[in-house]
Amino acid sequence: MRYLLQRLLQFAIVFFLVTFGVMVFMRIGMNKPGDPALTMLGGTVRLDQAEAVNARYHLNGNVFGQYWFWLEKMFRGDFGVSVQQNTTVAKYLSGRVLVTIFLGFYAVLWALIIAIPTAVYQAYKRDSRFDRGGNFLSFLFVSLPALVLAPFIIFLFVVKLGWFPRTGEKVMPWDDLGAHFRNFFLPVVVLTLPLAAIFARLLRGDMIQTLQSDFITLASAKGVPPGRVLWTHALRNSLFSLLTSVGVQLGGIVGGALVVEQYFNMKGMGSLLLTSILSKDLFVVQSVTAIVVAVVCVANLVIDLLYAVIDPRIRHARALT
Amino acid sequence: MSIRIQASTRETDGPLLELEDVRTHFQTPRGVVRAVDGVSLQLERGKALGIVGESGSGKTILSRSIMGLLPPRGTIRQGSIRFEGREIGGLSRRAMRDVWGKEMAMIFQDPMTSLNPLMKIGAQIAEPLRIHLDMPKALAWTTAEKLMQDVRIPAPGRRLQQYPHEMSGGMRQRIMIAIAMACGPTLLLADEPTTALDVTVQAQILDLLGEQRRDRNMSLLLVTHDLGVVAGHTDDIGVMYGGKLVEMAPTAELFANMKMPYTEALLQSIPKLADVSHTRLNVISGRPPDLVNPPAGCRFSPRCPYVQPRCREEEPPLIPTVEDPRHTYACWYPVGSPQYLETKERRRREAEVAA
Amino acid sequence: MTATLTPTPTPTGTVVYAKARRKVPQLGWMFGAAWLTVLGICAFAANYLPFIRSYDAKIQVNGRAKKYGLGPGWTAWFGTDNSSHDVFARCIYGARQTLIIGIGATIIGLTVGGLLGVLAGYYRGWADRVVSIVVDCLLALPPLLLALLLIQRSDQIKESITAIAWLTRSEEIMITLGILSIAPFARIVRAQTLALRERDFVLAARSVGAKPRRVIWREIMPNLVPAMVTVAVTGLGILIAAEGTLAFLGLGVERPQTWGKMIDASRDDLGKAWWAAIFPCLFLFLTVLSFNFIGDRLARKFDIREAAV
Repeated sequence: MRYLLQRLLQFAIVFFLVTFGVMVFMRIGMNKPGDPALTMLGGTVRLDQAEAVNARYHLNGNVFGQYWFWLEKMFRGDFGVSVQQNTTVAKYLSGRVLVTIFLGFYAVLWALIIAIPTAVYQAYKRDSRFDRGGNFLSFLFVSLPALVLAPFIIFLFVVKLGWFPRTGEKVMPWDDLGAHFRNFFLPVVVLTLPLAAIFARLLRGDMIQTLQSDFITLASAKGVPPGRVLWTHALRNSLFSLLTSVGVQLGGIVGGALVVEQYFNMKGMGSLLLTSILSKDLFVVQSVTAIVVAVVCVANLVIDLLYAVIDPRIRHARALT
Repeated sequence: MSIRIQASTRETDGPLLELEDVRTHFQTPRGVVRAVDGVSLQLERGKALGIVGESGSGKTILSRSIMGLLPPRGTIRQGSIRFEGREIGGLSRRAMRDVWGKEMAMIFQDPMTSLNPLMKIGAQIAEPLRIHLDMPKALAWTTAEKLMQDVRIPAPGRRLQQYPHEMSGGMRQRIMIAIAMACGPTLLLADEPTTALDVTVQAQILDLLGEQRRDRNMSLLLVTHDLGVVAGHTDDIGVMYGGKLVEMAPTAELFANMKMPYTEALLQSIPKLADVSHTRLNVISGRPPDLVNPPAGCRFSPRCPYVQPRCREEEPPLIPTVEDPRHTYACWYPVGSPQYLETKERRRREAEVAA
Repeated sequence: MTATLTPTPTPTGTVVYAKARRKVPQLGWMFGAAWLTVLGICAFAANYLPFIRSYDAKIQVNGRAKKYGLGPGWTAWFGTDNSSHDVFARCIYGARQTLIIGIGATIIGLTVGGLLGVLAGYYRGWADRVVSIVVDCLLALPPLLLALLLIQRSDQIKESITAIAWLTRSEEIMITLGILSIAPFARIVRAQTLALRERDFVLAARSVGAKPRRVIWREIMPNLVPAMVTVAVTGLGILIAAEGTLAFLGLGVERPQTWGKMIDASRDDLGKAWWAAIFPCLFLFLTVLSFNFIGDRLARKFDIREAAV
């Protein structure tokens, strides 16, 4: 329990530091009064207009005051406004966040569904043809970031075979399930394959190590069938690096989603982030980073919780650093 | 109170385990390692046999060969292993699975690494019961609790729910014994069961093993590097060197009348209570033989203090002694032979001169 | 059980379970080394090699410079792009730019990250805590997001901090990617240092009263080299991919443009002229693959468990 509290505190510190850092960073070079608003509004604006915007969105004064103002409003659900898009950030985000969440969720899910059985069987039949083939494929896919994989996939499935639409318009599952899966299929494939390769390589290494330990031999010597030895005894003992890696890769998935959304013209959070950073849309950038960092932190906290569920030694450790 | 589960149909005559010229070799990049190189022995029902040797003598591989628990790759197995009259030497792992845990069980050296750290003790003991005897979960757990009582674990009901890391090494080794005992096997293979434990706990574990063996009429193959461990706990002792049996005899006979200089050296390397303190410990000089290119002749010859030219050329066969046909040894000039005495006398004189 | 009462079966013959592991020649890293060598030579000697056109040379078809005028063939090996430049030549010039950026970023990341990692791992306590928080913060932010922020803001930063106003676009990208790689490098180096400082030779040096600076430089640093080299090679692959992604998103070097930019420029014309996007993709893929192969080989050789970068 103390372990979890410690992690919670750590994530809280990271969250505040990062959001604060991003805010300060976005304001670098804005020395004159009215600068933030000018930057945000872009083009030529009358000074009094800028002042009005500043006053309204609390863009004057010291950074701590501004941070507190923004933070407090955000926790009450008010993300501020997007001056560029002339709408509130919450409204601007709402339609798009889901697209990215679906992308990331499907990608992680499928990567695990593919990677776990493959890695387990690879480790079981170590150095077999299957293992070598799997290793080779995972090597290829680890070296295929979304940027490179997407054109190949598009060229094959969209241009040559014409099986899937190029533009993945955001269709939610509750609107049209078939169209939803059809539109999400290729983008998810692009995100999944490299991810599955990373997971499979990690898990295979750990499984091979676990399979050499004494308690696995003992399990066999008890007459436990190999399937049970693999899936119950060995797999649970080999999940730690994999779990850690899922947490680490989440950040990467956001980046991957950004690229994929560009390729498939999907209107998700990634493309929103890109436009808002390029157009210096202060509140949008701040809100999006806050959401992303929060998601990453919460996911890592869940992973820590899973460690404890899997391993009684972590559960029982009174103080772990 | 103690429970007895034994596989129903059991042959009653004939030795339980018979090995004939068992060889286990491994293909490695360096060449073929002859880890076990022609071992024949018999183990009667309810008896205990100790296999003694240095590390690298092939004793562990021998016990693994009997179990059939060998790495699947690059292993060459030859010879015959008959268990309850049935040839099991060539059985696949799949076929052996019905034997493992049910009729043959094994205890490993290191109790710290031999239990699954993520599984409750109760589940680990209940596992073979559920697999081999199809016990429902509740019954398997009650049986597990009784088994824990048998191996003298206090408060077994509470311990069932614990995980391995909450227990001491001795406690874990008791759990290992309980797991091995669960389905009432007829043969128990114990590979250095006490090496990783404190000296005080060692004796307890050995006594427990002996007691369980007698209670359940189980045979025991006790593999160890320590002659002291097997002395009080086995009926027979086999001494292994370089993948071969070099001497085998009933325990009392072996200690009274050992023939092989290697056995003698092993015994001398155990410090005795009667020794004056700071007595020089007798060690066997040199290193265990290379099992890829074993020495010609007797494999102990490069290290034997009583070596004669013949030892380096011809390999001695395993022959019975005149006094006791159950006592066999492989040595051209055994302890007590004229050449042995002569060399020993010369050594003594040399030592005196040096002093 | 009656069957087993029959006379004992004859001893089984030889049971060979399976052939021992054969040594498979490791072709991967040889391929990687070959590809990188050829690519490196072409990239840095491009101006002197006769078969590589100049960066600005346009290829005319029937006297006119046409958009995607030529497919892959003898005249232009990889075809021509939307401004009728030679795709092959542009791939090579892109390689030069991307390799320079990648190597520069790795050096920055390795120096800063390595230093932080060693300090955190050796001194522990407060140094460790501070470094850990910095690393955690850098890792909590998706790397691409961080890169976008840094590059997009760089103009403004240059305005306010005049000391760094001379930085060119490619140097900005290099520094940005260098900053991104600080966190993973620091983490790995820290873990290695933690393990090293308890090793006997380090303890021995400390017990005879060697100063921390000496212990770090003479005892710990040399033993960190294998891990650092391995991670640097694997990291280079990742950084090159990252550079490509940035260029793809429009934050790349204008001239010479890199692979990511080329992919971006013709990604919507995959149906019309697949070569213009696929060949830069192939170059990027093979280069990243090569670094991965070599990194894997080094990791095996030095027995370093893969760390997630």
